[in-house]
Amino acid sequence: MCLPLLCPGQQNKLAVRPPEPITVRRGGDAVEPLRVEVLGGFHVNSDKPKDEFLIPLRLTWTTGPLEAKSVTYPKPEEVKVGTDLLNVFTGSFQIVTTFQSPSSAPQGSATMTGKLRYQACNNEMCFRPTTIEVRVPVTIE
Amino acid sequence: MSLKVFAILPIAAALALCSCSGSSAAANSSAAAQQASSRKAAPDFTLTDANGQTVKLSDYRGKVVLLNFWATWCGPCQIEIPWFTEFEQQFRSRGFEVVGVSMDEDGWKAIKPYLATHKINYRVLLGDETVSSLYGGLDALPTTFMIDRDGRFAFSPHIGLAGKNEYLSEIESLLGARQSASAQHRVRFVPAAVVPGAAE
Repeated sequence: MCLPLLCPGQQNKLAVRPPEPITVRRGGDAVEPLRVEVLGGFHVNSDKPKDEFLIPLRLTWTTGPLEAKSVTYPKPEEVKVGTDLLNVFTGSFQIVTTFQSPSSAPQGSATMTGKLRYQACNNEMCFRPTTIEVRVPVTIE
Repeated sequence: MSLKVFAILPIAAALALCSCSGSSAAANSSAAAQQASSRKAAPDFTLTDANGQTVKLSDYRGKVVLLNFWATWCGPCQIEIPWFTEFEQQFRSRGFEVVGVSMDEDGWKAIKPYLATHKINYRVLLGDETVSSLYGGLDALPTTFMIDRDGRFAFSPHIGLAGKNEYLSEIESLLGARQSASAQHRVRFVPAAVVPGAAE
């Protein structure tokens, strides 16, 4: 047995690097790459898993002054687990969001808040779906 | 940019030090039958099945139970489910039952379509946080417990994908013990030769 804090089931299998602050003009666009790293030996489902029952990785932006025009995920890896071929992300990757600042957006500092939901497995076990909150400092000029 | 919240390295280091039973099939393979007298009672729970019927674990007292916690999104669980279906068919007449407890957050909305498209011949219940807490948190799936006829944990839990033969061995071992511990106690002065299957 191991100490509870060291058990893999009780740790995030994925980490998000602190996002770079965004500076954007009113009415302009800004591109924000979110750097993500999956713990070695684990994988997370891609945004488009092959099986309908699998839970996709998904980044959604919930609050803030900017509008998310698009969220682009990397190309997934195809791995074989048992007899199934899965579309997964492993290691380090980026999820790129293109934001647009409304022309009526108030100038000054604000925060964009998003949620990254994922479900991780290794070859022997899977872990419950997890959601990480992502906060990006924004300056609108 | 500060990397202090980027916790991969500490996590990786912690994992390297961790020897949780769920971390490898090898750990599972070391699971040994516990002496009947030292077994702990499996916590009772009340859950519902797909028909809305209330089911208690204690309803299965007198049977050997393979209690499997799983989810529709869990790949390794999908490998084990056909084995469990086979075990249910093979051993049911000898007092064995599989009970699947799904930990899907979306409940029956997620489980019913799965049951409709997969051949599962054993009872499936919808789990909740209460049962999760009773059984150690169930962060990793599949997690499977072998429960003896007296409602007690007979082996170490299988956390993660286990071997089919491991399960078979454990089931056969428990089914071979035809007498419950209490029954064994009652007949302990009877010569073993006339108590077939009493020894595990």
